[in-house]
Amino acid sequence: MITKIENEKFDEVLSAKYALVDFSATWCGPCRMLAPVIDELSDELDGTVEFFNADVDDNMGLAQKYGISSIPALILFKDGKPVDSMVGFRPKEDLRAFIENTVEA
Amino acid sequence: MERYDIAVIGAGPAGVSAAITATIRNKSVVLIGSPKISDKVRKAHRIDNYPGLPAATGEQFADALKAHLDSLNIGITEKRVSAVYAMGSFFSLQADEDMIEANAVILATGVTAGKPLPGEDKFLGRGVSYCATCDARLYAGRPVAVIGYNAESVKEAEFLSEIVSEVEYFPMTGSAPEERGNLKVIREIPRGITGGLKASAVATDAGEHPCDCVFVLRDAVAPDKLVPGLKTEGAHVVVDISMKTNLPGLFACGDIAGKPYQYIKAAGQGNIAALSAVEYLDNNKKG
Repeated sequence: MITKIENEKFDEVLSAKYALVDFSATWCGPCRMLAPVIDELSDELDGTVEFFNADVDDNMGLAQKYGISSIPALILFKDGKPVDSMVGFRPKEDLRAFIENTVEA
Repeated sequence: MERYDIAVIGAGPAGVSAAITATIRNKSVVLIGSPKISDKVRKAHRIDNYPGLPAATGEQFADALKAHLDSLNIGITEKRVSAVYAMGSFFSLQADEDMIEANAVILATGVTAGKPLPGEDKFLGRGVSYCATCDARLYAGRPVAVIGYNAESVKEAEFLSEIVSEVEYFPMTGSAPEERGNLKVIREIPRGITGGLKASAVATDAGEHPCDCVFVLRDAVAPDKLVPGLKTEGAHVVVDISMKTNLPGLFACGDIAGKPYQYIKAAGQGNIAALSAVEYLDNNKKG
């Protein structure tokens, strides 16, 4: 399951043990391609990592705060702090490896 | 949307061979490329070592490939693929403004000549785009630059000029659009793309040309840009002897899979890639 971030409301991300935030936009082709891949991963990693989506047009402040200059951008948070990031479309297994690099299974 | 069994990208000897074998093996195939067969093949002076076609000219060889496709009712879809996304169980291809879906993909695009411009890699997706038809609307009412390497880039620049505020066109070959209103031709050689967080100008010896996006329109996109996550080595895709890449369901053949750059080797690899793709599809069907 993916929680949509609205009005820059970020407290759920900051209070999670592990959170992955997908910064994207409706007009971005690679973002649209990445969305279903992340959706599948969120089911497979349910219980370990919490998944969020932030539309950059609706959350400009967050995008600026976390230095988003290209989308799709994934930021992995641990205990409320950004610990790793990845930019652009990637196949599912690459994304899983990216997450598992930080998240203790 | 129809989902093909196999999408073959590139209509040279490798792609044509792959499409022929995949069709004979009863798979639904979309062959994407130049409708009159690869221009590089057509311009070849003479081919001396292709069995069965001694001393063929490029024209004769291309015509023979086309005739073979025609005999099997295999059409060529004239589109430019700017990205191939590995979605997990299938692939999505960005083909001009359309999306094409396929369960397996065979890359036969040839090798990209030339290195990227300084700044091009750094700003790709951040003010550098390879696809005018897909990204034009992001820059509506804003100034852009086009670095055009072929005749199609002229058409794309004209299309862009209807949407953006201004197009500065840098011709890299003989073709250039006719200047009109907001479409200008700049006869200076781009030395690089500059900017901060995003690309903001094309640099030439004469100075900088500010813009919000630089469209770099080449005949072929470097393979690791074309397919995010694809393992490459230099200009080539890493393949094993069955033409498999590191991505399940994605195969590569011909010049893009490495040297020697020979037509007969390309055709042979196209055949192997198609057979490997068929095997992959059949295994997946069995679950």
